[in-house]
Amino acid sequence: MATERIDLPQGTLDLLILRTLALAPQHGWGVSERIQQISSDVLQVQQGSLYPALHRLERRGWIKARWGISENSRRAKYYELTRAGRKQLETEAGAWRKLSAAVAQVLDMA
Amino acid sequence: MTPSVQTRLDRVWRRVVFRWRRTQLNRELAEEIESHRLLKEAENSRAGLSPQAARELSNRQMGNIEMAKEDCRDMWSFLRVERLVHDLRFAARLFGRNPGFTVIAVLSLAIGIGGNAAMFTLVDKLLVRPLPYFEPDRLVRVTGIYPRAAVPFFQQQSRTMDVAAVSAGSEYNLTGQGEAVRIFGAAASANLFSVLGAPVAQGRAFEPGEDSPGRDSVIIISDALWKNKFGCDPSILGRVITVNGMNRQIVGIMPPGFGFPSSKVEAWLPLRLDPSNFIEYWGSGWVPFVSRIRLGANVQQAQAEIRALVAQFKRTFPYPMARDWNANATAIPLQEDLMGDIRGTLLILFSSVGMVLLIACTNVASLLLSRATTRRKEIALRVALGAGRLRIVRQLLTESVLLALIGGGLGILLGMSALSIFKSVLPSSTPGLAAAAIDWRVAGTIAALALLTGLAFGIAPALSASQIDLAGSIRTGSQRSITSAWTRLRSCLITAEVALTVVLVVSAGLLMRSLYTLSEVRLGFRPEQILTVRISPNQSSCTERAACIALYGRILDSARGIAGVDEAAIANTLPLDAEQPYLAVEIEGHPKSADYPAPLLWSGAVSPGYVRMMGIPLLAGREFTEADGSKSAGVLLITPSTARIFWPGENPIGKHIKRAGEAQWRTVVGVVGDVRQYSLAKGRPDWVPGAMYMPYVQSAREDGQIYAAMTLLVKGRADSGRLGHEIRSLAEEQDPNVPVSQVQPLEDVVSGSISDFRSTIRVFLSFAGAAILLAAIGIYGLVSYWVTQRTFEIGVRVAMGATRQRIVSIVLAQGLRVAVYGAGAGIVAALAVTRFLGSLLYGVTATDPVTFVAVTALVLAVTVTATAFPAWRAARIDPVTWLRVD
Amino acid sequence: MGKRPTPSELLPGTLDLLILRTLAPGPMHGYGIAHRLQQVSDDVLQVGESSLYPALQRLLLNGWVKAEWGASENNRRARYYTLTAAGRKQLVSEREEFTRMIGAIQKVLDTA
Repeated sequence: MATERIDLPQGTLDLLILRTLALAPQHGWGVSERIQQISSDVLQVQQGSLYPALHRLERRGWIKARWGISENSRRAKYYELTRAGRKQLETEAGAWRKLSAAVAQVLDMA
Repeated sequence: MTPSVQTRLDRVWRRVVFRWRRTQLNRELAEEIESHRLLKEAENSRAGLSPQAARELSNRQMGNIEMAKEDCRDMWSFLRVERLVHDLRFAARLFGRNPGFTVIAVLSLAIGIGGNAAMFTLVDKLLVRPLPYFEPDRLVRVTGIYPRAAVPFFQQQSRTMDVAAVSAGSEYNLTGQGEAVRIFGAAASANLFSVLGAPVAQGRAFEPGEDSPGRDSVIIISDALWKNKFGCDPSILGRVITVNGMNRQIVGIMPPGFGFPSSKVEAWLPLRLDPSNFIEYWGSGWVPFVSRIRLGANVQQAQAEIRALVAQFKRTFPYPMARDWNANATAIPLQEDLMGDIRGTLLILFSSVGMVLLIACTNVASLLLSRATTRRKEIALRVALGAGRLRIVRQLLTESVLLALIGGGLGILLGMSALSIFKSVLPSSTPGLAAAAIDWRVAGTIAALALLTGLAFGIAPALSASQIDLAGSIRTGSQRSITSAWTRLRSCLITAEVALTVVLVVSAGLLMRSLYTLSEVRLGFRPEQILTVRISPNQSSCTERAACIALYGRILDSARGIAGVDEAAIANTLPLDAEQPYLAVEIEGHPKSADYPAPLLWSGAVSPGYVRMMGIPLLAGREFTEADGSKSAGVLLITPSTARIFWPGENPIGKHIKRAGEAQWRTVVGVVGDVRQYSLAKGRPDWVPGAMYMPYVQSAREDGQIYAAMTLLVKGRADSGRLGHEIRSLAEEQDPNVPVSQVQPLEDVVSGSISDFRSTIRVFLSFAGAAILLAAIGIYGLVSYWVTQRTFEIGVRVAMGATRQRIVSIVLAQGLRVAVYGAGAGIVAALAVTRFLGSLLYGVTATDPVTFVAVTALVLAVTVTATAFPAWRAARIDPVTWLRVD
Repeated sequence: MGKRPTPSELLPGTLDLLILRTLAPGPMHGYGIAHRLQQVSDDVLQVGESSLYPALQRLLLNGWVKAEWGASENNRRARYYTLTAAGRKQLVSEREEFTRMIGAIQKVLDTA
């Protein structure tokens, strides 16, 4: 069971995408790779939910996209955080921390 | 977190329990939630709110409690199952409210599916199933017929095959066991059963050598004969019965269902191989071969060997044979050979049925498409009420699948009756025909097919219907925007239907014309009021020529004495009969040579008065008389075509012909009209150049014996049932051991010869009829729908002054457009396809213009009829009413 | 994101886990569970009643809790829920799972 992967719901996915893009602009595939990598393969991002999430975030103005050249010299769409996006990330990350703390508290209560 | 199987089962069980206690759980939940709320209310009061405010707040705090209750209730039922049940009930109600649509759709499907079920069964059971013998793919039929002398020759010389021989079969007299009966028996070489790999059910097969004289007084009977004639007598083995005057011991019984070479065979006698009986060994009693390819050899080697052996064997013939006798003899896999003649018919039937199915499915698809668009309002409403798109698609699919399943179920029933109709079209001696019935495999395939068709033509309309523009549909009643693509599709479907129908109807028309031409064929004789009876004494009782002649003389006298009988005569065979007597003859002025061996003539042996009784015209010379006795000079009658072939331009009277091997020449004394002896389509097979008649008392078969079995013909105004009775009793009077069989009016023999063909036509006609009906329904549906769609437009036109005629002609034009395109495509297709009818056509070409034109006219007429009602409806549109309602 | 996300939105299945944990010490009725969750989490976790009861039904269906009628504080009838043995096992495994996931997400959020 330790090797089971977990699928991410929409809200959490948005948060993780924003966080990943906060480090550096990336294309879609790179984002999902990174998340998977850092979480030691525990978190799995489905292609079917990644791109809708990216479009959603773009529509809300939290990320923006531009065309660039990828590692294997092909054209790819790169995403990066906007200023509004950075603010949103902070808010959401904060809310997340509070929530997970609260849950942890319940779980640990005597 | 994936639950184990045990957990899943437990969960299902708990759901069942919850479902059962649903009402109670509902109550308890309400109570529980209310109790919770009260606690909240109390808390709010303690916080200082007034009782009123506390209550209000607590209500708000509980949130969307109704939805919560809904979610809870979901746990207490089998959602999917209940949804399905609900969908099914809804679908059933829907069908009930639209009986016209339902009936048409179900019937169309049933007809198409039923026909195909029957055809699959036949193709599967007859063409595809292997023969029920051991390793049947090693069995081959060696083509050509061989004299008995060839049997041991081939058996000894062949290195690639084990060769057996068995005759097609003929009738034998079975006497000494109660009433004398005729049985159908085949003469077989001793190794037949081992070559086939067909074991006996009881007793034993022939032993090697039992096909030689002295050891061949044995017989093996079929299971059917054992049941019918001997009543399943368990002590039957070893009993001696008399067959054609010869005692034979029953040594074996074959298992039920065994019928080689055909299912008509009731007994197998050893094929007597007697080199000392020259006539039989070399001249008469030719048999076909069936062989099993030995291990280590293959068909190609066998084929090469056959050619070599035939050449070798020809050199051993004691008399000259045609140079090319059996020159292209070869080996065909037995399966192919047995099924060869019906393969063509089956394939034609198969493609016709397939076409009808296509037409039916097209109709149903078209119907469903139209319904999907007319139900847009209903669907829009349901979307507004919160049904998801998936839900709607599921609902619509349930409807179409249910429809398909009902149609499929009905189709299987129809298929069973269709099967018996098809069976009547094929020759009854086809192996396995009687046993062919729709079994579980076919029924299962049909069910799956029905399911697939339901999904296939349900999915497109379902998807389209679920994609509606909500506001737009509810607001405006007319739905024209998105449906045009579907309407075009429908038109294409109906056009294709019409094309297929044209192909079918043209084929049926061509066949009908063939049938008509055939039945109008000049027989050459007049069969009216003639009753025929087959009389078959044993050959042994006619070795004495005088005895036989005397017997028939007495029979004729007694027959003439029956009240109501005007004339009586005997003949060795009837026209159009299966028995075709050919004799090798020598013709004066045409000496035999290697290239021109003794020709075969069809030879009739008749009593004087036969020619007159049958109404055969006498064209020259004279008929037989009583003066042409057994001691008088031999005389003959021939036909004009025979005279033309052998003595062109000369007077044939006075010429001489004799039987091959006879000492004395016989003289031609008269010429009588040609008669269709062989079949209605052909007077004679191509390799028989002519026909002749001998007086019965002077007649001889190839072995010199007189004909023993003859057909008695009586002409009179008496009732045929009574006549048959009287004849039977007078025959018994003469000799109780002489079976009388096949009492039938000559007219029946004539119509019987085309009965198979007639049945085929009937089947085709029903296909064509079904196709026309379906196409008419399709056109009607299309045009009717078109009128409904255009109601607004038509109302406007009428309001602006268009006359009724104009409206009607517009509607008609819609229908005719589809019909014309369809007919055009259909004609092109038919021109390409009808050539495959080939051998079934008689007197009419595959591209006969009259038929094509007539069919086109028919299709157009049907179109006009189908369009009539919608056109009438359109003409009655009252602009005031319709413009307002929309 | 205007309103505060509930734990079920961010991590589905959290509610089930929380309920199971709350019932671990002993039986409780619906109101009590909601109250307790609020208390221990300093009001962060506001479990709506509309999500609580369906969740309880789900737990019942899976056989992780069982329910019995009893008397509540205000002397009305109330249903008390207790963890079953299977429920206890489920609590342990879900908790492990949850911890793992939290850890993973946290790692991503914490990358410099």
